[in-house]
Amino acid sequence: MRRYMQTLGKKVFLFVTSVLLLSVLVFYISRLAPGEPLVSYYGDRVEKMSPEEQEWARARLGLDAPIYVQYIRWLQNAFQGDFGISYKYKMDVTEVIGGRIVNTLLLGGTGFVLIFAFALLLGVVCAWQEDKLLDRVICKIGTVTGCIPEFWLSLVLILIFSVGLRWLPSSGAYSIGKEADLADRLRHLILPLFVVVISHLWYYAYMIRNKLLEEVRAEYVLLARMKGLRKSRVMFGHCLRNVLPSYFSIMAISVPHVLGGTYIVETVFSYPGLGTLTYESARYQDYNLLMILSLLTGITVIFCNMAAQAVSERIDPRIRMEDQNRYEEVERL
Amino acid sequence: MSAILEVQNLSVSFDTPRGEIQAVRDVSLAVAEGEVLAVVGETGCGKSVLCKSILKLLPDIARIKEGHILLDGVDITGYRERDMRLLRGKFCSMVFQNPMTALNPSLSVGAQIAEAVKVHRPRMSRQDVEHRVVELMDLVGIDHPTERQKQYPHHLSGGMRQRSVMAIALAAEPRLLFADEPTTALDVTIQAQILDLLKEIQARLHTAMVFITHDLGVAARVADRVAVMYAGRIVEIGTAEEVFHDPRHPYTWGLMRAVPAFARGRDSLYAIPGMPPVLIDPPKGDAFACRNEYALAIDYEEQPPMFPVTKTHFAATWLLDERAGGLGVRAPAFGSFREKNDGMCGEAQRSKVQRNKAQDAKQSLSADTASDILLDVQHLSHVFPLPGQENLQAADDVSFQIRNGEIFGLIGESGSGKSTVARCIMNVYKPTDGQIIYQGIDVCDAKAFRANKKMLQSTRQIIFQDSDASLNQRKKVCDIIAEPMKLHHVKPPRGTYRAEAAFQMRAVGLDAGYLDQYPAALSGGQRQRVAIARALTMEPALLVADEPIASLDVSMQAQIVNLFQHLQKEHGFSFLFIAHDLAMVEFLCDRVGVMHGGRLVETGTVEEIFHHPVHPYTRRLMEAIPVPVWCSDDTERRQNR
Amino acid sequence: MNQKFRVVGIRQSDSLPTLKPQNRRQKRPIASALILLLILSGCLACELIMTKDPSYLDLHHYSVPPDREFFFGTDTMGRDIFSMIWYGGRISLWIGFVSTFMTTAVAVILGAISGCSPDKADAVIMRIVDILLSIPGLLPVVLLQAVLGKASVLSISFVIGITGWMSMAKVVRMEVRQIRNSEYVIASACMGGGFFHVLRHHLAPNFIPSIMFMVVMNIRSAIVAESTLSFMGIGLPVEVISWGSMLSLANQALSGRTWWMILMPGLFLVVTLVCLTNLGNHLRKCANKKHSNL
Repeated sequence: MRRYMQTLGKKVFLFVTSVLLLSVLVFYISRLAPGEPLVSYYGDRVEKMSPEEQEWARARLGLDAPIYVQYIRWLQNAFQGDFGISYKYKMDVTEVIGGRIVNTLLLGGTGFVLIFAFALLLGVVCAWQEDKLLDRVICKIGTVTGCIPEFWLSLVLILIFSVGLRWLPSSGAYSIGKEADLADRLRHLILPLFVVVISHLWYYAYMIRNKLLEEVRAEYVLLARMKGLRKSRVMFGHCLRNVLPSYFSIMAISVPHVLGGTYIVETVFSYPGLGTLTYESARYQDYNLLMILSLLTGITVIFCNMAAQAVSERIDPRIRMEDQNRYEEVERL
Repeated sequence: MSAILEVQNLSVSFDTPRGEIQAVRDVSLAVAEGEVLAVVGETGCGKSVLCKSILKLLPDIARIKEGHILLDGVDITGYRERDMRLLRGKFCSMVFQNPMTALNPSLSVGAQIAEAVKVHRPRMSRQDVEHRVVELMDLVGIDHPTERQKQYPHHLSGGMRQRSVMAIALAAEPRLLFADEPTTALDVTIQAQILDLLKEIQARLHTAMVFITHDLGVAARVADRVAVMYAGRIVEIGTAEEVFHDPRHPYTWGLMRAVPAFARGRDSLYAIPGMPPVLIDPPKGDAFACRNEYALAIDYEEQPPMFPVTKTHFAATWLLDERAGGLGVRAPAFGSFREKNDGMCGEAQRSKVQRNKAQDAKQSLSADTASDILLDVQHLSHVFPLPGQENLQAADDVSFQIRNGEIFGLIGESGSGKSTVARCIMNVYKPTDGQIIYQGIDVCDAKAFRANKKMLQSTRQIIFQDSDASLNQRKKVCDIIAEPMKLHHVKPPRGTYRAEAAFQMRAVGLDAGYLDQYPAALSGGQRQRVAIARALTMEPALLVADEPIASLDVSMQAQIVNLFQHLQKEHGFSFLFIAHDLAMVEFLCDRVGVMHGGRLVETGTVEEIFHHPVHPYTRRLMEAIPVPVWCSDDTERRQNR
Repeated sequence: MNQKFRVVGIRQSDSLPTLKPQNRRQKRPIASALILLLILSGCLACELIMTKDPSYLDLHHYSVPPDREFFFGTDTMGRDIFSMIWYGGRISLWIGFVSTFMTTAVAVILGAISGCSPDKADAVIMRIVDILLSIPGLLPVVLLQAVLGKASVLSISFVIGITGWMSMAKVVRMEVRQIRNSEYVIASACMGGGFFHVLRHHLAPNFIPSIMFMVVMNIRSAIVAESTLSFMGIGLPVEVISWGSMLSLANQALSGRTWWMILMPGLFLVVTLVCLTNLGNHLRKCANKKHSNL
């Protein structure tokens, strides 16, 4: 028990240090970038302001102090839960984010689940029918869909379904006034969700297909067949079972990738989510917003990485076996 | 007794992009109930394909071109997967060669055995299944079955894993068992245990067995009947007694003469010249003709049919044709001695004793001359750090010496640390303790090593076991051989690097036409020759060979060992020969060291170690060697154990 | 008759018996290679194919659908799309190749270093790579581009190149680790080969084939990255013609029902990418030789 607490403690420590390091990094980089943060606050009026007014504005926003002072100030506030205000929205950053996080989670989260469920299905089907017609057709289609850039697919879909057929809305997360209406939300979700799923699906399906195909070439498959098992039993009970642990760890690592990668889709569909927010804050030097968004991303990334590693270490006896193999390899010397 | 397996004129081919490979050609054999048939042959002769084609476990590119397979009288040649599935496990099953990869690494051993049990008896209750699993594990000799069943394959040793595979194969009590080289990947002592176990089970359960092996000694130990295969055909078949005491096919003669035990006291091992043929375009006549010193002219034109020698003994050679009777070709003498208690026979013993006496004299003369000692290993220890704070003591206080011009053999099973010692000597690892003094220089001392780096790196060379990684697949043979010279900027004595490479190749018996080939186009034996040529270009004083023959066929092994002997006589270098094939070591080496668990348990001359072993481990090792038992008082010897 | 029954012994055969003739891969992606070649040569020799000057703003004929004069129509500023595709393709492909070159260089060096270093250092480097890898795709690109200011072809190539090396480095490192323990490498070291000798003669020739397919895939993702960046407005400016910048204009095309502005450049983009992917997959398949046991 004690050792477990020790390792847990070590991991937490690593986690916290990484997050802190990340915050320092983002803080410095964002402030070193050229551009005028005042623009996001005051808009175009900045050009009309006199230098003294600009100085005063900067002091008001706390931008005149040297960077490390600013950072310490930020850190102190952060510990108290105050992450500053967004220059553009002139609201507390937590409020700004809170308003949008649901949208992104809906889009990204549902997308994530759908992607990995379908990828598994497709991968298994293709591996089962290796080199037969179905496999070849799916692979060809998959290759093409995997090559279509997200934004282009979005544009084409909007063209067809919104402009041309007028079936589905082309922007926004919900129609005005119908914020809580599930059906309406769904209508708005369909196209962006489709794009998100299609653009990632084939990558993971192909990966699982290849992993399965490699697995099927292992020696123990012969032994399993020799027992008299059906081919399907061997495929699912043995090969797939061996592939799943690494699939799960890939899933874990892909969480930030999928969730964070929605900003292109959000931009084209004008879907109000965190993606567009991040992009805007990076572009227009909305520092506080950028900080917290980067921190969120960073925390998710680091957390998922650690989780993935923990999962694969515990569940996959082969990782443990690889250690053992090293032992044996060395032993054979 | 009816035949439980009958194969009639079976031909199996593989449709590959490079052409049709005829792996099995017109094979006919029969196995009676409760009988053990050994199929003997070199790698690539088709024995494995034969068994897998009976079980229909071959990949899709393989197909049965013609012939029939009958299991218990039922023709299964045309059987589809769903019909075969009912037979597999229940009627016939198989034990595979490599226990490391045969088991699913992420399922516990018990679960895998249970699966085999449940497949044919789906309505068995859980307790009954568990009971049966324990019963099976007991049958195959796995200790503490109730604890072991929860363990994963990587927790078990090689021998245990092979027993688990056997438990799986026997789960449904099949009437026919195929064993595809089940002991090849195991150590000698474990090999003996597994063979005994197989015989015991076979006798108890009255299972018929088809035992595939390339080792005649093993075949002699288990088989009732023997079939010899070459290039996809059966060249001789008969009872074990008949085949071993009265072989008729020149290939069988070659195989028997190549067994090192028969070379005791002789100057070189007998090796079948040449290589097995590629089966894409099999030759018109007898496939063995181009390696057969007794080949007849007709052998090159027409394939010989099976000629009967007795009612049960058949051989496919034109020598048995009545028209060849007048030639008077007889089997060469190899079975003409009787074994005595110490395992040596007659005249061969006398000449060997003489040779050893001469060597002992030489050694006692130079025992005190320090300058005669080339390599002095003193208290060598090496520890490997492992993941998880554990340590592996690979070598523990090893001390031995190698004199100038001596062949020193280092034997031991896997995990004994022989390779570690070799690599420490060659400065691949820095040993954690001890000294290695080469020509007076301590090579473990970094400063001394750096000062003499050039000399040390050129006069000591190493040869590894043949594998895919022993030669750089992307370099041509001439570049591989010339590499050491280029590295040391030595001007090639024969003009260009290429000419030098050609010269070295000829010295090791390789045709110079291979200069521009890549290693993938060469056979295992040829690759080892390239490695030897590379090592010899720098005229080394010490040659270290780490299991150089382990992955070669018996005839190839004999060729390479002969080559070593010849080269050592010619060049006079000291040779550290590491192997686990005891017979080859006995033939080649002057002195031997035995390693076990990282320690050097015994050193001495070959005579001492092999015939008067002192250490209990050495004794166990010597007793476990599968000795060819076709000497006449074989049964007596078996009783004497 | 008895002639045939005399002992002749061993007859040497004339030809060298080689064991394994080289493997011939049957299904080559010839169609993909040809199409790719076509597009490449079209872009390189665009002066010969273009019917009009791509940057000429023909304001009389803006937003014209495809017809005989303007094969693919014109965009909102009156530029001939057909010509723009070939001219812009040059830039898009150029960015793809240059950034891939950068990526490969960084990946090979870092991967080789990591593969050859002791366990602890290797673990640290790989952990950093893993973390970098899971950061959502274009975010660092956006940040870097913002830092670098105004975009040019070179800066875009640099930014894309610097952010895409992670997966390739992982593959290189894995290969180097495997090869490092091979006997021929040890033999070479024993006989006196230094680090660079081993790297040049033994390591590199053996891991380069396995990263070939990654290189091809990298070109692909670089092209996608460039077009996405330009589309979002942080890539190349509208004046510099590339497939991506053409598509950024297309955003406004949605309302105007000018489908050809979206379709044409996008189609070319997709076709190029598909051909590259097919090539990459073929390269990957060349490594896998074993047969299915199922």
